[in-house]
This record gives sequence, structure tokens and C-alpha cells, in this order.
Amino acid sequence: MMRDAAMPDVKTAAPPYLIAALAPAGQPAANGREPALVARDLWFSYDGRAHAVRGVDLAVPHGAMTMVLGRSGSGKTTLLKTLHGLLHPQRGSVTVGANGGGLRHRIAYVPQTLGLVRNTSALENALTGALARVGTVRSLLRLFPKSTVEQAKGTLASLGLGDKLNKQVYALSGGERQRVAIARALMQEPSVILADEFVSQLDPVTAEEILDMMRRIAADGVSFLITTHETDIVAKYADQVIVMREGAIVHDSRAAALTEAEMVDLLR
Amino acid sequence: MTSRQITGRVAFLAVVAAFVVSLYRLELLDPSVVWPALQRLGEFVTELFPPNWDVTRTLLGAMGETLQIAFAGTLLGFLFSLPLAILATRTLFGGTVTTAARLVMGAVRTVPSLLWGVIFVIGFGLGPAAGALGVALYTVGYMGKLLYEAFEAADAEVVEAVRSVSANRLQLFAFAVLPESANALISQLLFMFEYNIRASSIMGFVGAGGIGYYMLGYIQLLQYENLMTALIITFVVVMAIDYLSVRLRSLILSPSPASAPSPFAGLVPSVG
Repeated sequence: MMRDAAMPDVKTAAPPYLIAALAPAGQPAANGREPALVARDLWFSYDGRAHAVRGVDLAVPHGAMTMVLGRSGSGKTTLLKTLHGLLHPQRGSVTVGANGGGLRHRIAYVPQTLGLVRNTSALENALTGALARVGTVRSLLRLFPKSTVEQAKGTLASLGLGDKLNKQVYALSGGERQRVAIARALMQEPSVILADEFVSQLDPVTAEEILDMMRRIAADGVSFLITTHETDIVAKYADQVIVMREGAIVHDSRAAALTEAEMVDLLR
Repeated sequence: MTSRQITGRVAFLAVVAAFVVSLYRLELLDPSVVWPALQRLGEFVTELFPPNWDVTRTLLGAMGETLQIAFAGTLLGFLFSLPLAILATRTLFGGTVTTAARLVMGAVRTVPSLLWGVIFVIGFGLGPAAGALGVALYTVGYMGKLLYEAFEAADAEVVEAVRSVSANRLQLFAFAVLPESANALISQLLFMFEYNIRASSIMGFVGAGGIGYYMLGYIQLLQYENLMTALIITFVVVMAIDYLSVRLRSLILSPSPASAPSPFAGLVPSVG
């Protein structure tokens, strides 16, 4: 985290893609698709002095895998939380979809440790994603609408957990828990899923299975913004790559435009 | 010698000095006070034996009443402490609400359960109802504090994840905080019940029912062999409850909080 005398001192170079996406906000980007999420001049500080996020401008393309690459402490997690609204930026704005505000619940967030309730079932965890659209009393009594329960079952089944709906999360493997976290996110019917170091704790084979699955979901129109420090994952799975250093974006381009060696150089 | 060592020695000497001064002021260093007192206690202990088993039936009935006071008082107190604890949880509510809830619980906790018993005897008259309410009110203050501390210890990432789906406060409590702290909640409820059995056994001293009423009577009438029977029954019952409580804990709770099955599974209609 870098200490700043005054916020506006640090400027990040906005890449052509971003300029196309941001001008004007919500209008179609160069690729013809509206960005699913746009952030403008985002600043966040935990203590009011050192900024963990510094003047971030970014646009998450619709139906694509965008990966935020950065070293530990580069501000990736804080950026995701600020984009979601779990942390309130001191300056800047976040716009979801073309219509702007009021759609915050359509951004799903998956923390690094997944945030699953371990002593309840996969199905109950998935249903948690639907809380915003189920009445308080119904949800407290666990009387979810039948259609919502069927949707949760279907989502879990599509992720390969059809036979483990009622298994407690603590009894599932790491990869299966990852799938439950995706199911919970999908139950929000999100336009964007923000995932923090999502596969960093998995073995390479399971990580690839999960990332393949995420690509399929992205192809259905859900955008992903995933933080990672693994360049090989970015090279293989990202459509767009954003490199962060000391809270600022230092690079933003199509992933294919960078080699792994160039990514490592950017991290230094 | 470092300044840290000097500070440590000074602190140690200060504690020893305060201890000796306390004993002196309490006349516990005066042999003319202590020796006769020990002699009288020795006589009292010899008069406790042999216990009079003829009063066993009466005392078992009174002990049953004590258990009812503890049981009803604990559950009543739990029911009232739960909403207060929720309001006092900083991960759910802001500073004003949590401070107000904590103040209420702190004020209730300040008054010992025996004094609450006296207050309810004034309102409800002599008997176990006053005892149960006295225990309940003390439980509100004590249990409420234990609960909100357990709620605040719920895994922050789970709470954040459920908050991120735009869950409201009640949903956040029901779907993240409660399942995450369920083990602690059950454990503390059992602990409170054990504690309240001991508290209830002396509620009778102020006329609020239970075996304490008989204990006080036996002391006043110098029937120490009857008192011994009451003490044995209380000891056996408290030990039995302690044992059952440990067994119940191990049945309900698993070794690791992270891998525990929810004790609340089945209390609400299951989905799916």
C-alpha cells in the first residue's frame, strides 16, 4: 500500500479498451458489447491516509473472463470489495450494466475462503444467493418458493452436484465447495461475479475443471472479474487482463496481447 | 536487571502487600479471632453427621422444584436475551443500538440473582415463581453477553459473503451468524443451566422456593443433620447434571466448530 500526500497525485494510464468502454459511460464498447460493470476514478483507504485502491478506472466486458493480476498486498481484494459495495470508496463511482444504480444485488461476490456456511447443506448455501428476492419471513422459516428451490437444485446439478444437494458443506471436497460458492453466486442471477483468488487453493486439475466451468458460464452472458497472482491461469483462461501494483492499475489489455513473461515483468 | 524485571518485581510485591493488608483488615491474621472460629466450625461439621435420611423424600421434592426453577429460568432468560444479544451484535447493528442493548444487559447483570429473587418475592409472593423469574432476569444479563460475544466471533468471511447477497439484518443473522455460532450458543446454554442450578439451590434463602428454603430452615433450627442430607442431595444432583451436560455437549457438538453439524438442523422446515 502506498502512502499518498494527496489523492489525485497518482494517475493510471487508461488503455484504449477502457476509454472505449467509458466514453460515455454505459455506451457500447469497441467490441460492440456494453460493459457489465464500469468503475471510474475509484479511491479507497482503510485509514484515510494510505490508499489501497488508487484512481482505478476499469470496465468489465460482458460475458468475458477478466482477471486482475497482482502480487500479495497490491489491492486486489480491496478493489473487489469496493466494486461490490462492501467497502465504500472515498471517491469515484461504480456503474452496473447500462442503467447504472439500483442493481447492486446483481453483483455477486465470492471471497477467497468462499464464505460458505459449513454446517449447512449445499442446497441451503445455494439458496442463500436468493435471499434478496425472497421475503424475510419466508426465508427465516426456510419456506423458499418452490421455483427458487428448483432453480437452486438445477444450478447445483448443472455444476455436477446433483447428488450432493443435502450434503453438509464441511463434508464436501475443495472443488465441490468451489462449485457450491458458484451456485450461490448464480442464484443471485448476477450480471457480474467477483471472485477473489478463486482457485488458488485447489490442485491444478481441479482448478482447471472449475475454470472451464466458469468459462461456460461466462459464455452464457455472466461476466467474471477474478483476482489471481498466477500468470499461467491468466494466460490460459482470461479474456482480459488487468495488472495491479500498489493499488493502481498499471496495465489493462486483452490477455492474448501479453506473454506470461511480460505479465511477470509488469508485476515487478 | 532490566526495567521490565523491576516492574514485574514491584508489581509482585504490591500484590503480596495488598493481600497481607486485606487479611489483616479482615481480622484473618488475628489468632484470637481465627482459632475460636475454627473450633466452632469443627463442632458444626461434627454435628452434620450422621445425615438424617428421614427427610430425603421431602428434600428430593424440593430439589425437583429447584431444577424446575433453573430450567424455566434459564429458558425464559435465554428467550429474552436472544433478541437483546442480536441488537448488541456489532456485525449486525450500528453503535447506538448495540450500546443501548449492552447497557440494558449490563444493568440487569449488575443485580445478583438472589436480589432479583427478593424483588420478585415482593411482587409474586413466596414460592418458586419468584425464584424462576429471578434466575431468568439474571440469565438475560449474563447469557446476553455470552451470546453477543459468540455472534461477533462468527467467521467474518461467511458474514461478508451473506451480506454481499443483499441479505437484510435478520437474514444475515439467520443464515450466517446463527449457524456459525450455533455450537457456542448450545455450549453456553448448557453452561448457564448448570450455573443456574447452583443459583436456584439458594433461592429459597429469600423465600423464592426450592431446596434452599429447607436449608435455611435447618440452619435456623440447628438441625444440621438434616442440612447435611440437603447438601448431599444438592451435591449429587449438581454432579449428575454436570455429567449429563458434558455428555450432551459431546453428543450435540463436534470437536471442531468448523466441522460441526448444525444443532438447528430440523428445528425449521428443511428445504428441498
